[in-house]
Amino acid sequence: MDGGALHEEFIARDELGMSGPYVEPRSETERRLAALWAQHLAVAPVGVEDDFFELGGDSLLAAEVQVAIDTEFGVEIEAAAVFLAPTVAALAEAVRRAPDTAGADG
Amino acid sequence: MTVDLADPALYARGDPHAVWRALRRADPVHWQPGTGGPGFWSVVRYEDVQRVLSDHTRFTSERGTLLNLLGRGDPAGGRQLAVTDPPRHDRMRAPLHRALKPRSVQAHTGVIRDGIRALLPGRDRPEFDLAAVCGLLPLTVLGPLLSLPEADRPHLVRLALMSAAEEDPAVQLPQGPAATLHRAHRELFAYFADLVRERRRRPRGDLVDVLLAMEVDGVRLTPGEVLSNCYSLLLGAGVTLAHVPTAAVAELSRDGGYEAWAADPGLLAGGVEEALRWASPAGHFMRHARHDTVLAGVPVAAGDAVVAWLGAANRDPAVFAGPDVFDPARSGNRHLAFGAGPHYCVGAGIARVTLRLFFAELFARYASLRLAGEPVRARSTFLSGYLQMPVRAGFRGRGKEQR
Repeated sequence: MDGGALHEEFIARDELGMSGPYVEPRSETERRLAALWAQHLAVAPVGVEDDFFELGGDSLLAAEVQVAIDTEFGVEIEAAAVFLAPTVAALAEAVRRAPDTAGADG
Repeated sequence: MTVDLADPALYARGDPHAVWRALRRADPVHWQPGTGGPGFWSVVRYEDVQRVLSDHTRFTSERGTLLNLLGRGDPAGGRQLAVTDPPRHDRMRAPLHRALKPRSVQAHTGVIRDGIRALLPGRDRPEFDLAAVCGLLPLTVLGPLLSLPEADRPHLVRLALMSAAEEDPAVQLPQGPAATLHRAHRELFAYFADLVRERRRRPRGDLVDVLLAMEVDGVRLTPGEVLSNCYSLLLGAGVTLAHVPTAAVAELSRDGGYEAWAADPGLLAGGVEEALRWASPAGHFMRHARHDTVLAGVPVAAGDAVVAWLGAANRDPAVFAGPDVFDPARSGNRHLAFGAGPHYCVGAGIARVTLRLFFAELFARYASLRLAGEPVRARSTFLSGYLQMPVRAGFRGRGKEQR
């Protein structure tokens, strides 16, 4: 997940007129999730309280993000966490709660 | 003439057929300027509607096919069957079409018939809401095809309705129509995400498995594409099929035609086609001109939206004799209720089978159906139909009911 090379094509978060202030990731999980969102949305930086859809995401992209999170963290997070009111902070919590599938076929 | 074809109130309380009739005569390729957004063309004649829907080389589906997406685009463009142009469209459609062929769905006929019998109220409930009964019909068919648990179906029907008639007071959230659409989309995607995950583990040989196995030019659908097509299948059946019987009964209840149609089994299939023409539950589909073109003599600029009104085409006197009469014996009924061209409804075959089963059961059980109150039409530019229809049923003699 090396976003550095792509950063020139990224949209700066400031240009989106987000409704809330930027909140920095506070844990390793939040940092990884924010990086993963940034990759999928081509927006940087991603704040942990930012809404996925407000950042320009749509339901199709959310589906790709769900699968990417499952793969990256070796878990199965609830779909509701990804599609309904998704923030990096909430997803980090969902990843923590999710059953571990590491080693499972899939 | 001044009309607002984008006003959902026209379809809830007004007389869209009178508006379309006037447009067919005086202004068949009608421009409606935008109010704070882009305007759009409307076509209302059979020939023009058929042409716009069929000619994907001039009119694309990939920028959204429903008027409520005008000016916003559709993120599913090129990725969901209904909003993908040929040739990719055709490669996505083929496996679904195979799975929905009458022979493929024959295995489900018994389940569908049982489902219909369970839906229709018995003698203990002679007064009921026919719209509510019919509302569950689509899932009676689609449920087995997608292996949707029975307990989830009413919720899915509601979410589908929110997606198709976001302006209607029965389903609109307090936060407004846009929030209603978003909420419905996201809940449905979340629902299907869980369903698909389950199906990856345990295939059931259903339409979800068809989508998961689908390869277009050697490439599988992405997770988002799979969910988006599940959504599209639900919408395609979920908010259309229900409105065919109610539209027919509303009209037949007025003119006494119910008994005549019910009395002649030879009219079952033809009557279903007439009910489809009459109802035209998908009121319109939108396209965008790929380049500057001319439509029935009217220049249309590249990028312009063109809305093809199916309900209008299906009452065009140039094609249908006595278009405003419901005639189960009508011959040569080439209605456009399922659309036309490459995007012709992929579920049309099973929809026809289902409607024939439904009307056969309806006629077998009820000798008569009368309106028992004022029916309520959906407040929607897309979904054309009734959301409430109180009826009073007269039951057949016991012997006949059992047949």
